[in-house]
Amino acid sequence: MRRLAAAIRAIGFATYKEWAAFRSHMAASLLVGPVLFLVQVFIWQAMYEGKETLNGLTYPQMLAYFGVATLIHYISFDFADWNLQMLVRSGKFVTFALRPLPHWLFALAQKIGHRSLALGIEVLPVMALFILAFGVNMKPAAPGWAVISILLSFLMNFFVNYCVGLTAFWLVRAEGVRRVFLLIKDVSAGVFLPLSFFPDVLQKLLFFLPFQFITYLPTRVYIGSYELTGIQLTLGQAVGLQAAAVTVAGAATIALYGAALRRFTGVGV
Amino acid sequence: MRGIVYCWAAVMRTKLAEQMAYRSHFALSVLLLIVGDLVVPLVTLLVYRSGASFPGWSLHEALLIQAVFALAKGIAFPFFFGMVGTTLSQVREGTFDLLLLRPRPVMMMAMLTGFDPDDFGRLLSGSVLFGYALSGAGGPSWQSWLQFGLLFLASLTILCAVSLFLSGMLFRWVGSSRVFDIFDAVTSFGMYPGTIFSKSLQNVLTYVLPIGLIAFVPASALLGREGWGVLWALVPAAAVLVLGALYWNRMLRGYTSAGG
Repeated sequence: MRRLAAAIRAIGFATYKEWAAFRSHMAASLLVGPVLFLVQVFIWQAMYEGKETLNGLTYPQMLAYFGVATLIHYISFDFADWNLQMLVRSGKFVTFALRPLPHWLFALAQKIGHRSLALGIEVLPVMALFILAFGVNMKPAAPGWAVISILLSFLMNFFVNYCVGLTAFWLVRAEGVRRVFLLIKDVSAGVFLPLSFFPDVLQKLLFFLPFQFITYLPTRVYIGSYELTGIQLTLGQAVGLQAAAVTVAGAATIALYGAALRRFTGVGV
Repeated sequence: MRGIVYCWAAVMRTKLAEQMAYRSHFALSVLLLIVGDLVVPLVTLLVYRSGASFPGWSLHEALLIQAVFALAKGIAFPFFFGMVGTTLSQVREGTFDLLLLRPRPVMMMAMLTGFDPDDFGRLLSGSVLFGYALSGAGGPSWQSWLQFGLLFLASLTILCAVSLFLSGMLFRWVGSSRVFDIFDAVTSFGMYPGTIFSKSLQNVLTYVLPIGLIAFVPASALLGREGWGVLWALVPAAAVLVLGALYWNRMLRGYTSAGG
């Protein structure tokens, strides 16, 4: 176990160093995040004209929703799907099939390193801008639950994306599937709009899909109240539900990974 | 001129043939672009359903702005915007030199190489949305159509200029795919009624950084909300295109590779 932790730490650190060379790419978020947020400020300012609440959210809560959703997006950002598909398509996956560490764990360690770098370059500076320039209340209602929920969101996004990446073992060119799926994921996760704005039937469906656990649920936990399709949960219940969903997603990923490896053929393997 | 048309035809043929090798991927990509461009209108629809609205703008009128945006992208993306992706990958890989060696202007070759038939999907989603939005927004007069036609050209001009700026930036900021995020962020101002922004920002978005010209101003003209004076906005559009071309050529001069 100690050796595994050391391996994960070493892979994470190597990824951190590698991406630090391209830190200006991450730093673009200092422009992109606040500009997109500024547009949201104008949109919702106009929408709330003469209204106290919209679907149970006040104007400050709506801004907090988009502010927190942006930060969670930066923290849990993932490209394991693209990376895995590239490795399978180019044949480079062979080198991973021979290593004494499952590739999904290697990819997770890479994500930990990559996002650790983002914490200093993207997350905290953008958070400071939201607070100082836009006056958004970014104080979590219950810091403990918020941290656990964001960590679970980090894992859930990884598992979902990794499963999408695994489609490359069955499809010749899986890029189209990947892009369609990721778009559906973002819409269903509440990135563009809180899920409480969706029709009731869709809300019921989205409650049972894994996507709400990536953005919507952690954002609502951060703000301090969770409600979807009329179901209200306490913060503890919401995080418990999220933990259960992440466990199921993790188990499904490992099972799918095993099936993919059985299918994999490569030169020398 | 005939040479240019011949080049375009040859590239379109080749790219289509290339896509046909992966037909399901091509179909999914087109579908994705159709669905992707409908996400913002879907959000607008859901917000209006909840009882909120942009003051002074009905749902169909707000959707018309987003439809014009999608239509403009449906033309600009296949024809010019691909040069951003071309510059991004070819400068990083060092294969941009090949464009310099060809007996045609480099800028045109960069646009040609970036031609992507998938992007016509945007034109389809834009057309459907345009028809739907217009059906609920009343029939425009011929003056409105004329204004719209001219302003739509300005819209394409702006998108072409933005392509030049982003592509030019990539000669220095090698391999950064974040330029696409920057594009999405900056142009997001153009997808909503300009009246929701402060007056000073509206002026900036029309005359200085004319993002409002991509969709809001042409849509307003089609709805009969603008007078003939709005055509003055064509001047900043042309100016931005000239600046973009100058910037791109300047950045190209700074391009260095293994070949020197």
